[in-house]
Amino acid sequence: MTDAIQQPKMDARTRRRLTGMGLFARFATVELWLGLGLAAILILLALFGDALMTAAPGEGNLRARLKPPAFEAGGTTFWLGTDQLGRDQWSRLLAGLPWSLGVALLSTAIAAAIGTALGLLAAEAPGWTRTVINQVVDTVLSFPGLVIAICIVALAGRGFWPLTLTLGLLSWPVFTRVAYAEALSVMKREYVMAAQLLGAGRMAILAGHVLPALLPTLAVVFAFHFADMLIAESALSFLGIGAPLGTPSWGAMLSDSRQYLTTAPWMMLVPAGAIVLAVVTANLIGDGLVHLTRRRGRERG
Amino acid sequence: MSRDLLVLIGRRLANLAVLLLGVTTLLFFLLRVTGDPAAVIAGSDADAAQLEAVRAQYGLDRPLIVQFLAYLASVLRLDFGMSLSAGEPALGLVLERLPATLELAGVAMLLTIAVAVPVGAWMGYAPTKPGRRIAAGIVFVLQGVPGYVVALIAIQIVAVEFRLLPSVGYGGPETFILPAVALASFLAPKLVRVIAANVTEAMAEDYIRTARSQGADGMELLWRHAVPNALLGATALVGTMFAALVSGAVVTEAIFAWPGIGWLLVTSTQTLDFPVVQALTFTVAVLVFTVNTVTDLAFALIDPRLRRQRA
Repeated sequence: MTDAIQQPKMDARTRRRLTGMGLFARFATVELWLGLGLAAILILLALFGDALMTAAPGEGNLRARLKPPAFEAGGTTFWLGTDQLGRDQWSRLLAGLPWSLGVALLSTAIAAAIGTALGLLAAEAPGWTRTVINQVVDTVLSFPGLVIAICIVALAGRGFWPLTLTLGLLSWPVFTRVAYAEALSVMKREYVMAAQLLGAGRMAILAGHVLPALLPTLAVVFAFHFADMLIAESALSFLGIGAPLGTPSWGAMLSDSRQYLTTAPWMMLVPAGAIVLAVVTANLIGDGLVHLTRRRGRERG
Repeated sequence: MSRDLLVLIGRRLANLAVLLLGVTTLLFFLLRVTGDPAAVIAGSDADAAQLEAVRAQYGLDRPLIVQFLAYLASVLRLDFGMSLSAGEPALGLVLERLPATLELAGVAMLLTIAVAVPVGAWMGYAPTKPGRRIAAGIVFVLQGVPGYVVALIAIQIVAVEFRLLPSVGYGGPETFILPAVALASFLAPKLVRVIAANVTEAMAEDYIRTARSQGADGMELLWRHAVPNALLGATALVGTMFAALVSGAVVTEAIFAWPGIGWLLVTSTQTLDFPVVQALTFTVAVLVFTVNTVTDLAFALIDPRLRRQRA
């Protein structure tokens, strides 16, 4: 249907430069490459970390309690040291990785799906639908999410799905606000109006024309939101509310370390370093994508 | 008072009503769905007859919708019932703990502003100089460090290693330092980045460029024009920052055994002390409403542009 509109003439090279991988390679910054590289390593470790474990993550060895990491003076074969039960910290770190990444990724995906759908709906439907959605978004964003998350998880129980659903269902307004604002401006563009004039349905326009234009911005929000969810998950597990007892989550490892800050500081530094690394990775990708979209905008401008 | 301001207050009140109804309803039904409140009240070793007695006493044998309406009616009278563990009125317990949280949040907020505004202004004034690029990198990494990690590191170094400050507890001014630093670290990096970006943008405005080209003092332009503009631009963050402050306070208080509402929340959810949890979320909602409305009004009075745009 949109074929009826005359496409601007463009040679193959220009087209490659302005779309897809060509554009990416041209404008990706050091930040983005670094972020993506670290993300690839983290994902590989999450998928195949079992092979790299040097001990069973849940099994303690009381004779090897509180051993310092290998690089410290008096270090042992445990290269990141052991905890108060003699469990190998490197293996526990690896075992906790899929949990942390999984909760953060799925809760971000849930928030993105609900939030984007409602944002598009608010942009498409003026009147009371829009008013109600925007009021709810304002209200939820101004409320400290952790307070309500603690209440819900405490009642609904620990575990992967209660935690993931709670975080996702409480945080979608971030996506709604962005999707709504962006969709309003996209819907004023000529190609969307042209599609409307040609009689395309409302859903077809939203899904086929508006949503694709939002994807770069949503990718940025996704990366930053993923970082927020990582922090939220580890905070809840740290408080003893998120991960079930015995799950080797990073937040729970930090919580264990509180009793041993004097005698075994590595028990705190190892999981803390892992959380910071994962969050910084997500922030690097987010910042890199911001620059990417901004520079592309300038190029097209 | 103009009509615009009344509209603004009206919208905030509508927000508060939605929030209170939403939170109250959610927690009420969640408690009923996930467990038997009578079993929580009576204790784990109660037999069937005792459970029946508790149900009759608390009206838990009535239809759910009747219980809910009765509950809403009592919430409207600010009656949340007695704390299950302390045996005192739940709201009183929360209000008793509120000052400690507000003091901590206030000190942390002042600290955040005192650090973030000069650092942000310095970084945004000439963002491409090498020293400031390094600073931007440090701020970027700090943004990825959760506040409770800062708290643990601070305890490790300041309180345990050098024994300079008490590691936990609430008392004299010295007990405020570590918790306030930890709480400020939840907010400061983000605020620095926003202020730096806003200052850079403001310094590129035509009127400032013109003034600079005519030999006006750069520092004066920065502090008289660019920074105030950057701060007004950052006011959109007040709502989410306050939310982050309260969320951060929960974790910080739990670490430092700070007798505020955050610690109360953690302990009362662990014991399923439901009246206290309800009274607490209610109090937080009212607090959020008050802070956002007051800041909205304050900025509307300062900056007529905002008044027109928001109302």
